[in-house]
Amino acid sequence: MALQIIEKSDLAFFVQNLMDHFQLEGVQSKGQSVYGQAFFYGTIRSPAELCLDFDCTVMPPKKYFLPPQEALFRFQTGPSPACFECRPNKPLVIFGIHPYDLKAISQMDRVFAAGTPDPHYLARREATILIGIDPTHVAPRSFWASMEAAVVSSGFDLMMTDLGANYIVETGSEKGKALLGDYAKVRPATSDEVRQRVSQRSHIADMGQKRGLTFPKREIPILLQHSLTSPLWEENATKCLSCGTCNLVCPTCYCFDVWDDMELNLTQGQRLRRWDGCLLSDFARVATGENFRGTRTSRYRHRFYRKGQYLFFGILDDVACVGCGRCAAFCLPDIADPVEVFNRLKEKLN
Amino acid sequence: MKYQPLADISPYLPQWAEISRIQKLTESERLFEMHLADGEPLGHKPGQFIELSLLGIGEAPISISSPPGVENSFELAVRKVGNLTSAMHRLKVGDRVGIRGPFGTHFPVDETQGKDILFVAGGIGLVPLRSFIKFVLEHRRDYGEVTILFGARNPSEQLFLDELEDWRRRDDLRYLESVDRPDPNWTGHVGVITTLFPYIHVDPSKTYCVVVGPPVMYRFVIVEAKAKGIPDTHIFLSLERRMKCGLGKCGHCQINHLYVCQDGPVFRYSDIFDLEEAL
Amino acid sequence: MEKAKVAFFDFASCEGDQLQVINLEEDLLKVVEAVEIVSFREAMKGHSDDYDIAFVEGSVTRRSDEARLKEIRKNAKVLVALGACATLGGVNLLKNFQEAENVRKFVYGDKAFQYETYPARPLKAVVPVDIDIHGCPINRHEFVMVFKSLLLGKKPEIPNYPVCVECKMAESICVFEMGMTCLGPVTRAGCGACCVTEGSYCWGCRGLVDNPNADSQREVLAKYGLGLRDILNKFRLYSGFSEVAQ
Ligand SMILES: Cc1cc2nc3c(=O)[nH]c(=O)nc-3n(C[C@H](O)[C@H](O)[C@H](O)COP(=O)(O)OP(=O)(O)OC[C@H]3O[C@@H](n4cnc5c(N)ncnc54)[C@H](O)[C@@H]3O)c2cc1C
Ligand code: SF4
Ligand code: SF4
Ligand code: SF4
Ligand code: SF4
Ligand code: SF4
Ligand code: FES
Repeated sequence: MALQIIEKSDLAFFVQNLMDHFQLEGVQSKGQSVYGQAFFYGTIRSPAELCLDFDCTVMPPKKYFLPPQEALFRFQTGPSPACFECRPNKPLVIFGIHPYDLKAISQMDRVFAAGTPDPHYLARREATILIGIDPTHVAPRSFWASMEAAVVSSGFDLMMTDLGANYIVETGSEKGKALLGDYAKVRPATSDEVRQRVSQRSHIADMGQKRGLTFPKREIPILLQHSLTSPLWEENATKCLSCGTCNLVCPTCYCFDVWDDMELNLTQGQRLRRWDGCLLSDFARVATGENFRGTRTSRYRHRFYRKGQYLFFGILDDVACVGCGRCAAFCLPDIADPVEVFNRLKEKLN
Repeated sequence: MKYQPLADISPYLPQWAEISRIQKLTESERLFEMHLADGEPLGHKPGQFIELSLLGIGEAPISISSPPGVENSFELAVRKVGNLTSAMHRLKVGDRVGIRGPFGTHFPVDETQGKDILFVAGGIGLVPLRSFIKFVLEHRRDYGEVTILFGARNPSEQLFLDELEDWRRRDDLRYLESVDRPDPNWTGHVGVITTLFPYIHVDPSKTYCVVVGPPVMYRFVIVEAKAKGIPDTHIFLSLERRMKCGLGKCGHCQINHLYVCQDGPVFRYSDIFDLEEAL
Repeated sequence: MEKAKVAFFDFASCEGDQLQVINLEEDLLKVVEAVEIVSFREAMKGHSDDYDIAFVEGSVTRRSDEARLKEIRKNAKVLVALGACATLGGVNLLKNFQEAENVRKFVYGDKAFQYETYPARPLKAVVPVDIDIHGCPINRHEFVMVFKSLLLGKKPEIPNYPVCVECKMAESICVFEMGMTCLGPVTRAGCGACCVTEGSYCWGCRGLVDNPNADSQREVLAKYGLGLRDILNKFRLYSGFSEVAQ
C-alpha cells in the first residue's frame, strides 16, 4: 500500500476510534523530573493523553508481551490435581513506538520463537497491533543511530513520521492496512510528501548520531572476544549496586524467574513468572549455596557479553542492544552505558 | 485475563507421574520410582533430566537416574536441600507429581560403544551417572573395559548400597571407592577421589572418561584424566546450574553462549574447556 | 489435617505490625479459618502455650524480655520475627521517619542506647529466628505469603534483591530524577517499593540486602545529594542503619 497521510487535525479521530474498538496503549507524560518530562506507556483514555513527541519512555513497551509478572497456568491440588493454562489473548493496539523499541520487539520475537516457542509471549504478541512513530527528539543518553536502529523497515503494523503539517504513514501488515481503512481518515501521500519523509528520516538519523560508537557495531562481538580480561570490568563493577535496573529497563532483557503462589485455601494457585535480571546477586545461585556468578564483576560483565556476543552468535545474528540508552540513564553509579563501555574497550584495545 | 482449560500443550505445563516405590538411600536422599500417569514411556536417554514439580511448592531440575528400560517406569534420586526437595521427601507411594521433559543432552551412549569407559562419580553425581552405568551394564557386551570410581565425603553418604555391593563383586568391571572422612567401620580407601587415579590403568587410545560431581571436583579430576592421556574430546561431564524453564528462555542456566538446559547438562570437555564460566 | 496453632506476641513496639495483620480484612478471615489462633492480644482475650507458629513483634529492651522470648522459642516450632523492631532491633524510634527531627533522634538515639544498661536488640540476638518479616510496618501481602508458605511447609522466599527491582516493575519515576535521594538500591525488597509509588522515597525500613554495595551507595548519595538541605541526616540515617543491620 502506498504511503498515506493523516492530517494532524484527524489524529484525534483516529485515536478516538481506536479507543472505541480496542484497548489502546500509548505514551503518556507522567510528570516532571529534573531532566524533563518522564514518559510511560499506559492506557489511553482520551486522545489528548496520547503523546507522540516524546524522546524516550522510562520503561520500554516489553511489558505488553512479557509482563513484570504473569501466570503461566492455574492449578488445583488435592485428590484430583489439575492445571489450567492461562491464555493471554486480549487484543491491544500500542500507539507510538520508536524504531529502536520496534527493533527490540523484533529481536524478542525471535528469542521467544526460537527452539521451543513460548506460547505466552507469542499469544500476546499475536494479539497486539504495533503503531510505530519516528522520533522527533533524542533522549540525552540514547545512541540508537549507531546501533542501526534509527529507522526500521519492518516489525510494525503501521509506521508514522511527523512531517510537521501531518503524519505520513507506512503500512507494514494486513492488520495495519485494515486499521487505517477502518478507523482513520487518510489520503495518499504526494510525491513531495514522500520526499519530505526521506529527508526527515535522514535528519533523524543525524540527530541520533550525537552519541555513538566510535567503530562499526558489527565489530562488537570480536571486540568482546579480546576483552574478557579487561580491567574495565572490575573497575566499573566495584561501583555496581546489583540493583538490576539496567536489566529491568532494557527492551531486550527477558530473563525471568518462576514460582508458585497458592491461595489461602491452599488448594488453588498459580505458577507465575516475573522479571529477573542477571545483575541481581542470586541470579545464578543454587540451593546448595554455590553461586556461579558470585562476583559483581562476573555479573556486570555477563550483561555486556550477553548483549554483544552470546545472543549475536546464538539466535539474533545481531547485537542485542538497540541503543535506547535507558540503562545508561537510570544506572545510579552511571556504569551501565553500553556505548561508553564498548568505546572504552575499543580504546584500550587499540 | 480469561483462564481456559488446556487445549494444546504449553511447554510450561507438567504432565502427571505417579510414585510407585520410595526407597531411603541415605539420611538426606531418597529414590522415587514413578511412571507417567498416561502409561507412556518417558522416552529419555541416560544423562537427561526432567523438571519435577509439586503444585504450590515449585519446580526443580532432577536427573533421571535410571536407564531407559523395558518397563515404563523411571527413577529419580532426590537430595533434601530446599523447598521442593524437602516436600518430595514427604510424599508417599501413590502420590502424583508433575513432570516436564526430558530435557537436555545425554551421555555418549553410542559413541562409546566398543570403547573402554572410566566413570568418575563424586557424591550425588552418582545419581545422573548411574543411568549411564546401568545402561552400559545392561548392554555389557557392546562396551569395552569398564572402570567406576566413586568418592563420597563419608561412608554414610554412599548411595545405592546394593548396587555398589554388586559392582564390588562383579568381575566384568573394576570398581574403586573412597571416602574423604572414614568412620570407624570403614576399611576401604581414604582420600579425595583423585587419590584413586594411581590405582587404575587406562588405554588412552580407546578410553572415554565420564565425570559427574560437585563443581570443585571437575578441575581436579580432569587434570588426572588428562595425565592418563585421555584426550579432551573423550572427556564428558554433566554440569549443574540454576534452572527455571528448561527451554533456553529464562537465562538462569547460561554459561557464556551455552544454555545448560539445552546444550547440556552433558558436555564434551573439549567444547567447554575455554569457556570462562564453565568450570 | 489438623490446623496449625498460631500465637502472636509483642515486645517493645507500637504494635503496628499486628494492626497490619488485623487490617488484612477478608484475608484475615481466611487466615483465621486456615489455622487456630491461640493467642493474639490485639484481637482476642485468652491465651495458650500450645502453639506451632509464633509471630513475635517488637525488640528486646529489658533483661526480663529475654526469659519470655526464650520460653516462646521453646514452645514454638517456627518463630517468625514480625516487623523492623523484631528483625533489626531499635528502629522503633523511627516511627515518624519523614520528620528530620525524628530521623536525627534515630541516628543519635541508636548511639544513645549504648549508654543504657540494656541496649535494644533484635530477636535474633537472643534466640534463633526462623523467618524475618521485615518492614516498618510489615507489608500485609508479604505476611500472607509467609503465612501460606508456612502452612505449605515451605520456607518463604523473602527477596534478596533491592527495592529498585520492585520500583522498576511498578514503573515509578526514580526519585533521584526528582531531586530526592533514596535507599532503595541497598534495601531488601518485598514491599513493592510502596513508599516510592506513594510519592515518597525509600528510607530503608526493610533493612539491607545480604551483600549491599555500601561504598557505591554512599557515592551515589553524595553525587545526587549535593545541594540537598539534609544530606548529612540522610548519610547518618544510612550508616546508622547499617550498624543496626550488622
Ligand atoms: C541438570 C540438573 C540435574 C539435577 N539433578 C538432581 C538430582 O538428580 N537429584 C537432586 O537431588 N538434585 C538434583 N539437582 C539439583 C536440584 O535441582 C536442586 O537441589 C533443587 O533445585 C533445589 O530446589 P529446592 O526447591 O529444594 O531448593 P530451594 O533452595 O528451595 O530452591 C529455590 C529455587 O532455586 C532454584 N534452584 C536451587 N538450586 C538449584 C539447582 N541446583 N539447579 C537448578 N535450580 C536450582 C530452584 O528452581 C528453586 O525454585 C539437579 C540440578 C540440575 C541443574
Ligand atoms: S550496572 Fe548500574 S543499573 Fe546495573 S545493576 Fe549495577 S548499579 Fe544497577
Ligand atoms: S542495553 Fe541499554 S541501551 Fe541497549 S537496549 Fe538495553 S537498555 Fe537500551
Ligand atoms: S542474561 Fe542478563 S542481559 Fe541477558 S536477557 Fe537476561 S537479564 Fe538481560
Ligand atoms: S526511587 Fe529508589 S527504589 Fe526506586 S529506582 Fe530510584 S533508587 Fe531505586
Ligand atoms: S520502600 Fe523502603 S521504606 Fe518504604 S516500605 Fe519499602 S523498604 Fe520500607
Ligand atoms: S533453565 Fe531457563 S534457560 Fe536454561
